Amino acid sequence: MKNLPRWFPAIVLICVVAFVVSIFARGIGAGDLTGAMPLEGLARIPVSAGGRTKPLDTYARNELLRMSGKQTFEGDGGSRPAIEWLLELWTKPEAAAERRVFRIDHPDVRSLLALTDATRTRFSWTEISPKLEEIFRQAQLASEVSRKKQDPFQKQITDLYGKLSEYVQVQNLREPYTVAPLAAGEEWAPLLGTDPHAKPLETESALALRGILASYAMGDAADCTRRVAEYHAVLDAKLPSAGAASAFEVVMSRCEPFYNASILYLVAFLLGCVAMLVSPMSPDRWKPSLLRSALVLIAVAFAIQTFGLVSRIYLQGRPPVTNLYSSAVFIGWACVPLALVGEWFSRIGVLSMAASLIGFATLVVAHNLSASGDTMEMMQAVLDSNFWLATHVVVVTIGYSATFLAGFIAIFYVVGGVFTKLLRGDAMKALPKMVYGVICFAAFASFVGTVLGGIWADQSWGRFWGWDPKENGAALIVVWNLLILHARWGGMIRDRGVAALAIAGNIVTSWSWFGTNMLGVGLHSYGFMDSAVFALVTFCLVQLVLVACALVPTARWRSLATTS
Amino acid sequence: MNKLNSILKSLSSLRLTVVLLALSMVLILAGTLAQTEQGVWMVVERYFRSLYVAIPFQLFVPTKILRIPGVFPFPGGLTLGVLLFVNLLAAHAVRFTLSWKRAGMIATHAGVLLLLVGEFVTGAFAKEGNMTIAEGASANYIEDTRSCELAVIDTSDPGDDLVVVVPARMLGEAGRDVITSGMLPFSVRVVEWMPNSRMLGPMQASKGQLAKATAGVGTQVAATPVAVATGVDGADIDIPAAYLEFKRGDASLGTYLVSPQLNMPQTVDVGGKRYEIALRFERGYRPYTVKLIDFKHDRFVGTETARNFSSLVRLTDPSERVDREVLISMNNPLRYAGETFYQASFAPDDSGTVLQVVRNPGWLLPYVSCALVALGLLVHFGSRLIGSVRRKVS
Repeated sequence: MKNLPRWFPAIVLICVVAFVVSIFARGIGAGDLTGAMPLEGLARIPVSAGGRTKPLDTYARNELLRMSGKQTFEGDGGSRPAIEWLLELWTKPEAAAERRVFRIDHPDVRSLLALTDATRTRFSWTEISPKLEEIFRQAQLASEVSRKKQDPFQKQITDLYGKLSEYVQVQNLREPYTVAPLAAGEEWAPLLGTDPHAKPLETESALALRGILASYAMGDAADCTRRVAEYHAVLDAKLPSAGAASAFEVVMSRCEPFYNASILYLVAFLLGCVAMLVSPMSPDRWKPSLLRSALVLIAVAFAIQTFGLVSRIYLQGRPPVTNLYSSAVFIGWACVPLALVGEWFSRIGVLSMAASLIGFATLVVAHNLSASGDTMEMMQAVLDSNFWLATHVVVVTIGYSATFLAGFIAIFYVVGGVFTKLLRGDAMKALPKMVYGVICFAAFASFVGTVLGGIWADQSWGRFWGWDPKENGAALIVVWNLLILHARWGGMIRDRGVAALAIAGNIVTSWSWFGTNMLGVGLHSYGFMDSAVFALVTFCLVQLVLVACALVPTARWRSLATTS
Repeated sequence: MNKLNSILKSLSSLRLTVVLLALSMVLILAGTLAQTEQGVWMVVERYFRSLYVAIPFQLFVPTKILRIPGVFPFPGGLTLGVLLFVNLLAAHAVRFTLSWKRAGMIATHAGVLLLLVGEFVTGAFAKEGNMTIAEGASANYIEDTRSCELAVIDTSDPGDDLVVVVPARMLGEAGRDVITSGMLPFSVRVVEWMPNSRMLGPMQASKGQLAKATAGVGTQVAATPVAVATGVDGADIDIPAAYLEFKRGDASLGTYLVSPQLNMPQTVDVGGKRYEIALRFERGYRPYTVKLIDFKHDRFVGTETARNFSSLVRLTDPSERVDREVLISMNNPLRYAGETFYQASFAPDDSGTVLQVVRNPGWLLPYVSCALVALGLLVHFGSRLIGSVRRKVS
């Protein structure tokens, strides 16, 4: 028992390694796709949707996520994977019509559809379909108002109408494009076209898929298994790249690297908190032991997150940041090594806590951004430039990361300094230095990244700087960092002032990151209570409170009071 | 001499720098929020290239929560830019010492100065326009989609057309409803002016809308006003439309609907002589001709998302002995005669291309600036970082 603190990090390491092994085992094994039917093989079948070749599994997950907000549904035996819902929709539509997959939140929409069960937010096609005409009429009415001016009811009815049309499209096999191009001259195509009188496709892929669906509908597991295996053999021979990428993507979806990394970050953060709590009692034994354990967890979480990022790069053939979702993942990822460098300088544990907190928070944000569907969607032609995505986007995102990191370190400094006695002596001196150093780096990365963006714009449409909302957002971050640095160099602010401004930098960064996107959906008209706006406003208010804490006179700081 | 020094000193103060940076942030924020209501070009002129700007309080508060009337005056982008420029120059004039320790900062600040100069040059001298060409057709002029003109064309001379243009801002001006000029064969009465408009086909338009025009194509189609494009929509082109009555003395020659959306010119009969009229984007003619040979627009399979688009054009300029084919595509512009041609957009149903044509004498400045700043900051922060690491290791 006496040596427990010494061995604790090793124990944590063993546990976390076991955890990682279990994740990958679940990814490679069939997991929840076991059963009589060859779900695992069906999940790997490549299809084309949104211009991207992806496994049927990913398509099913995204569709279900868009409709119901979850990647699973309530099947006969409890929670079941999305692929089963999609196959049921294709083979037993009347059974699928009973599945509660349409999420409806707005009370007026519910009352319009006479959905009286207040205990649920998800409803089935059977429950909704009697009111299809009314939904169509309401959607028509709403479509005459621009999206920006629509009220929440109009937005939800428009969304619902869109989901219902898509449901019908999918059920009728017009989406996704399932028929693979196996011979020269063939293109990805839907199994059924829009013309009901057209002759059904007779290509090798179409025939195989029809056979698979027929045997699935009959419940003939043996026949279905054989047909799926045969189809995969054909795919491997004639379309090898799609098959391999599909199989890998199925494994990746099941490993859920970002979700699991976020759990580890959270545990690491909690360990760090415990370390701080026990530090007065056991400053030489438990505190360093727990901090080292937290570091182990962060390192493993970082490795898993890296695996996820690299997988996305492989699947997309693109640099890591291509949309808002991936920017969230990347911001957290870039913060971690930055913070660990800082930790190496200061060795007080606070930076690894900041790293784990940012890692966790950004992955939660990313998770919430993924609800709109495929997170690896194809890019508009103008963005189709790996060179600029790899330089401008990555550098500017690292600038965002560093600005956030400076803000979070400052939060630890202020909260720890004002309310606790944990940051005595060295820590009180080291943390402001860290904040300053990270801001220097942030100024560098955000400036260079922003100017690179201008150069990209000049290359693409001849306008280095157009003063559009997104560009202005980036400019605000640059100017804010410069302002902090110049104020400090001019002696106008010191440690406390830098910390206060760095925390306010969190507001600037989150505004540039999200706020500018929200302008488009009408912050000034309706939708002010949209959850993302609400989250952003809450975050900013919390930052303001923290800035106020930083302004508490140093005489009242508990960590400073005890040093004398 | 001492006085000069003290002025220089106060101009060079870091306090001034911080104040200017803070003011810039307020201006940028206001200029961004303003784009929820206004087009990006309007905002650029009013906020970022002006001496001062009147900012409405309402910008910062959603109307749903509180309605606040009134504006407050604020220094515009030009003022702040010039002050930052002076502040920076003064700082280096006062504290100038050439040493390795300061080399990084000097390079960085030189880059920032160049950036400010670059934006100034762009604001003052850059010209942007569009070239819309249908497949198989040629164009030798560039349209400025930010301003329109009413063209009255006398085609009676078989050799040359005689064109008189009325700038659209005169048509849209409040209080001025009749335009007369000795150069025009008739006077123009503005019945209705729409800064941004949408066309209604024969089936969509009501009888009343079609009755607004008494002659020309306006008896078959109608225009209806729509809100001006705002910066946050990402669209920056307004397509105006107008109902104009042409008069000779007191006699009406008819009320016409005009808009750049109507491709064919219309004719007005003035005592037996025919004039063509058209409201079109302002044109700037060029000595060279661009002919669109082929326009390609690929989409991702099963979607409407553009994968790429490109225009194969033939560039001819007899005076310069130029006659060659060029492929212009996304991220691959053509640079010719001080102008750069970018693949910007395309005509409906892919029947033609829209090239953005830009002349910006300052286009190279940001490139130099970026290199200077990046290098300067690397040297400056890098040397300090190495210093800290050394101390840490020893």
